[in-house]
Amino acid sequence: MSITLPKPNLLNFKVPGALAVGLLAAQFLLFQYGNDTDPECFLNVERPHHSTSLSENQNLDAIKLNITSTCNVSQKYTQLSASIQKIQNNREITAYSFVNQRRSSTTKLPNVASFKELFAPCRKGVSAAYRGTAKGYVYLENGKRLAVEGDSGKFVAAGCLIGAQ
Amino acid sequence: MSYFEECLTSGGLLFQEERRALYKYLLEINKDYYFNQAKLLLDKGITTRSIANGEATYYLKDRKVNYSARELNSDEIQSEIREINLTKIRKYNIRKLAKFFAQCDVDVISNFPISGRIPKAESGYGFNTYPFYTLAYYADGKNRLIGLIRKIRADDREILTKLRTY
Repeated sequence: MSITLPKPNLLNFKVPGALAVGLLAAQFLLFQYGNDTDPECFLNVERPHHSTSLSENQNLDAIKLNITSTCNVSQKYTQLSASIQKIQNNREITAYSFVNQRRSSTTKLPNVASFKELFAPCRKGVSAAYRGTAKGYVYLENGKRLAVEGDSGKFVAAGCLIGAQ
Repeated sequence: MSYFEECLTSGGLLFQEERRALYKYLLEINKDYYFNQAKLLLDKGITTRSIANGEATYYLKDRKVNYSARELNSDEIQSEIREINLTKIRKYNIRKLAKFFAQCDVDVISNFPISGRIPKAESGYGFNTYPFYTLAYYADGKNRLIGLIRKIRADDREILTKLRTY
């Protein structure tokens, strides 16, 4: 004797038209936002170097540290603490630190904040190996805050010695 | 050219130590001016000051003071840069504001120096977040006791003498 099971009538299930349109619109908006405006920022910490401009213009010797924070969206400003690390007696030490420095973006480059005036006085003629590091936050125009961190990579020698701070 | 005039043209090229000494020097030489400016701000709610190649406008609202800055002959305004909270005591507020004005003067000099032989780097408005008159500046925002020790140890006499003498 065979048993006949009742067939579920899936094809007859109906979604109201307005709800279907709403769901599609919500999905579109969700993916659109998720993919396009995920804010990202990164720090470019350049190798610390002897500043020729300061030497030529003001007859001063200094090690210069350039840092740029770049985002894929507009930023208000970047706030960070940076340092120039040096090798002394086979140990890495902080030669100079720049605490909580803030730079705003410009109207020309709203996604970028540049730190171009970080100088550490030094004594020319004595060489030392330096590396730049930085850590802080980028404050975006939309009110969000993103953590950023970076360094200039390996230690590179410069012919000017930063004294003990 | 005096060393102080040099500072007005060097702007952002000044070392941290020079900026700190400049703050102390400005507070010293402009004490009466800052006191009067503070009284004006407390009475009128707004005051403006030009230094080097920049101009700062101070606003008082709900016992809070902040300032906006712009380069002279420029429309681009950097608004609400620094903020300070005031108390109910007028005398104390005047002293507090004098320090605030000196700090802001250093900010403006650093960002808008008098144009001279030194080309200005293309960057946004910049400053050290902790003002020179706070222990947080010396302590890197951490322990105040460490800040106090570092403040006592900070020796700006050489630069201050240079500012006063030359």
